[in-house]
Amino acid sequence: MNMRGSLAGQIGYALVALVAVALAATVKTDGYVANILMQAATYAIAVFGLSIVLGLCGQINLAQAAFFAVGAYAVALGTVDYRLPFWLCLIFGMGVAFAAGALLGLSTLRLGGHYLAMVTISFQQILTVVLINAIRFTHGPDGVSSIGRPPGFESSQSFLALAVAAMAISGYLVWRLAHSRLGRAMRAVRDNELAASAAGVDVFRVKWVAFALCALLGGLGGGLFAGGFSYISPDQFAFSDSIVLMTMALLGGVASPVGSALGTGLLILIPEWLRFLKSVPGLYLAIYGAAVVLIVIFMPDGVWGFIGRRFARRPRARSSTAEPLVLGPADSGSDVALEVRGLAKYFGGLKAVDGVDFRVRRGEVHALIGPNGSGKTTTLNVVTGLYRATRGGISVDGVDITGLPAHKRTIAGLARTFQNIRLFRSMSALENVVIGAEREGNALVAGGPDAVLRRARSALAFVGLEERLHETIPSFSYGHQRLIEIARALAANPTVLLLDEPAAGLNTSEKKALHVLLDRIAAQGLTILIIDHDMTLIAGVAKHLTVLNFGRRIADGSTAEVLREPDVVAAYLGAS
Amino acid sequence: MGLLEVRDLRVHYGEIEALRGVSFSIEEGAVMALLGSNGAGKSTTLRAISGLAPPSSGSILLDGQPIAGLSPRAIVRLGIAHVPEGRRVFPGLSARENIMLGASNRSAPSAAIRREADAMFELFPDIRGFADALGWTLSGGQQQMVALARGLMAKPRLLLLDEPSLGLAPVIVQAVFRIIADIHRRSATVLLVEQNAHMALKVASWGFVLESGRLALGGDPATLWSNESIRDAYLGGAQPTATA
Amino acid sequence: MELFVQLLFTGVGIGAVYALVALGFVLIFRATSVVNFAQGEFSMVAAYLMVVFAVDLGLPYWVAFLISIAGMALLGAVFNLLVYYPLRNRGYLPVLISTIGASIFLSNSVLALYGPQPQVLPGWFDTPGFQVGPIYLDSQYLVILAVTLALVLFQYWLFEHTLLGKKLQATSQDKEMASLLGIPVALMIMFTFIYSAVLGGIAGILVAPVLFVSIQMGSNIALKAFAATIIGGFGDVAGAILGGFAIGIIETFGAAYISVPFKDAFAFIVLIVFLALKPQGIFGERVSEKA
Repeated sequence: MNMRGSLAGQIGYALVALVAVALAATVKTDGYVANILMQAATYAIAVFGLSIVLGLCGQINLAQAAFFAVGAYAVALGTVDYRLPFWLCLIFGMGVAFAAGALLGLSTLRLGGHYLAMVTISFQQILTVVLINAIRFTHGPDGVSSIGRPPGFESSQSFLALAVAAMAISGYLVWRLAHSRLGRAMRAVRDNELAASAAGVDVFRVKWVAFALCALLGGLGGGLFAGGFSYISPDQFAFSDSIVLMTMALLGGVASPVGSALGTGLLILIPEWLRFLKSVPGLYLAIYGAAVVLIVIFMPDGVWGFIGRRFARRPRARSSTAEPLVLGPADSGSDVALEVRGLAKYFGGLKAVDGVDFRVRRGEVHALIGPNGSGKTTTLNVVTGLYRATRGGISVDGVDITGLPAHKRTIAGLARTFQNIRLFRSMSALENVVIGAEREGNALVAGGPDAVLRRARSALAFVGLEERLHETIPSFSYGHQRLIEIARALAANPTVLLLDEPAAGLNTSEKKALHVLLDRIAAQGLTILIIDHDMTLIAGVAKHLTVLNFGRRIADGSTAEVLREPDVVAAYLGAS
Repeated sequence: MGLLEVRDLRVHYGEIEALRGVSFSIEEGAVMALLGSNGAGKSTTLRAISGLAPPSSGSILLDGQPIAGLSPRAIVRLGIAHVPEGRRVFPGLSARENIMLGASNRSAPSAAIRREADAMFELFPDIRGFADALGWTLSGGQQQMVALARGLMAKPRLLLLDEPSLGLAPVIVQAVFRIIADIHRRSATVLLVEQNAHMALKVASWGFVLESGRLALGGDPATLWSNESIRDAYLGGAQPTATA
Repeated sequence: MELFVQLLFTGVGIGAVYALVALGFVLIFRATSVVNFAQGEFSMVAAYLMVVFAVDLGLPYWVAFLISIAGMALLGAVFNLLVYYPLRNRGYLPVLISTIGASIFLSNSVLALYGPQPQVLPGWFDTPGFQVGPIYLDSQYLVILAVTLALVLFQYWLFEHTLLGKKLQATSQDKEMASLLGIPVALMIMFTFIYSAVLGGIAGILVAPVLFVSIQMGSNIALKAFAATIIGGFGDVAGAILGGFAIGIIETFGAAYISVPFKDAFAFIVLIVFLALKPQGIFGERVSEKA
């Protein structure tokens, strides 16, 4: 996945866009065809919005027709009832849509999945009811007619060109968004929310921004729609229209603007060619509904995704060698990099962690071990912010992080890997590591996007995977995926690196390689906290052990001593 | 020919080879302990036998009949009951209802099943007063007893127990193992997977130790326990090499 | 005072319909973790089947009812096989979208086959109602309440007093464990879809004489039933039923005292309030689980 979008690609896009706008402005078509094109252009803008929230960010939005309506009614009522200029109304409408989208997006703080779907449907339904019944304000079922157009674009031809231009520009912006830092963060949230949070992404902010941007584009499309058709009524912006928009997104391929445009085009043009379908009321939409089911089952990536996978070219890695990886952990001078004090985590009546203390000294490799069910993983999860501590405190380099959410702990200097590997599977190795590198507050990438890229390459080179940086995650073996996860953590320039069972699932030679890698990381002076069951590995890399059993600490000291303690042996073997 | 024969069993989770060619056999009436540290492949062995994790190669024979790859439903009907790790008592059903559902591998009138469930409470006096308590309100030890009783309701020829001591306080663990010994005395055949080698070897008639998906040690309990190698299998054989 | 009782009667009556559809929702959700957006269409299709058999073909009401319910059972089974089963391992979003597509397909197929004109379905009884003092009791509402009561009692008996009900509950709570015990999980899910389709169908046939039989009636009811399940605590059977009654009452009183045209919005406003303040609903999480 090319990080910046090649210059050639962008020029190509600009040329196609110019041609399209020119054609729209000059080629004379009869009113019917002009209407189809107008509808396609404005719907496509709304579908671009869906490609942001659903395609990039993976959140469901069944109210896009409502945002479309907000833009349409802003333009309609503004120009007709209040005689305001078109542009002012359009911008106002987009602003209201943006705010409404942000408000809806706020609900993602606590809700996901079908709850979120329900909130969006509710919003859609409430808006429909308001449009129909607040007659004095919205004109009710009669609709609004004689909607104005901006000066200079009064003719249908010129307004169509305007709409096509708007479509081209918004398509371009959505395309660039996918490869921007925000777009990467959205895709990370879609692929693996937990890992995104652990990598420093503010998941909640990303989600509501996605909603707001989706709504913004919906409003833009709706405003242009109103100007284009000069007449709007509430029944054009109902729940079924939200479904139509979503189907267009799904059909084309929800993750890209090209897919969205393709889907929109197909689903507007095909029924026109099969005009007889519209003569039987319901037949057209029935086929729509069946198409949705079939697309979801058989073509989950949509038409464009299908084509994309067929013809995907892997960009070749440039042959230049990466710089050596620099690890510059924050150092306030304190001897202790990570301190856990009196930590407890209760799940209802279950005391998973019941008063655990330990300190990880700067530059040390420290292991947290214990039999199954002893509370090690829970402790790690509380330290990294996946769970809130019931009691106790955690500090990194002297700074108390106990109350911080997970992504802020990454900013404070923690970086972790997961026992069951959480990588962003739709992205390349490079993109995965970039997300780690571009975490907020990373002092070693202050130079901007180039510095981020260089650091990511360095991290991948450090784990030996630089040659394959553009390949997507599924093409890597399990052992190599583990390495990419470690590279992602290292790229974030952590103060403490936390490894959750890094040897799990590795074969013998992979474990040996992991041992060597950990030694190299330790040799650079980075503080490491590792949980694992492989005692050979632990005894080999860790200088200091803390042993847990039944949620409590039962031993803490140098590796050699601890492994000889009778309590520790008994904890593992069960001897009383 | 033992009741259960496992030959060169290999199980993959995606790419990861969790079992790398394991072979053993269990005699009828025995309690066999399958030991090893976490991640060694113990649970995977049970899941392969009960049908939750179909093997990628190798064979499993029950009374000489191959069962590898059959569905869990088919295997429990053949007489192998699996009490999985973490107990997995149905949280919204009562203890009695959980136990009654253990008879789902055969068709019998529900009145008869209810009587059998009530008889189970004689075997498990500690939960007799909790028959109507919902699963999620029971303590870990009580849940373990319910899970054991539920497994026995299937009238199994072979009972697979996965880490019954997990997460239980030592006193409760002793109570659970007393029951396991009792089950054995009633001549059920048991394959017991345990991390707690000490307790397991007290009730077992034979033991194997798994290490990284392979069988590392095997023998009668006394020999295994006194063997230094078992300590190494759990706590790592190599001397610590990290220098101060 | 009389108005209050009258409104209460109407609210509870329409609430009973929401409760039945909500029950169907919750049962499918508990068994499959899937929200079935086509649940309302089950009600709509059944109402149309009644129109075909009882009105167009003139069959006796009882006969038409039985045929319609049989049709719904068949629809539930087909729905399971075509819409849910191929996607059962794919995560909530594809299934959710797929059920939305199915809902569009069902409502528009009926539209294509039958036409857009709303239909009229006569009630169970010829007498339209009884005057009890100052209160008018619509006979169809009495039927709704009676049948709902019977179904709720049946539901209770099924789940609490039969082994099948226990197996259904076990499947909902831990599929893998259920299969380990020998419970036929796929069959349990099939039964759940069939039963939910029948519940939805009965709800549709009960409410049809009160509203018009129209293409939109399904989604209207379903969205409110969905709101009911959230208010009651998603996944809770008793909560769904009580939530349904609550929505019915809120809506009826809201229409009378606040505004008739905005009646349809009340359910959604209440829903949003609940989602904002107490997403786990009134009954919340009955079963504690470790994170």
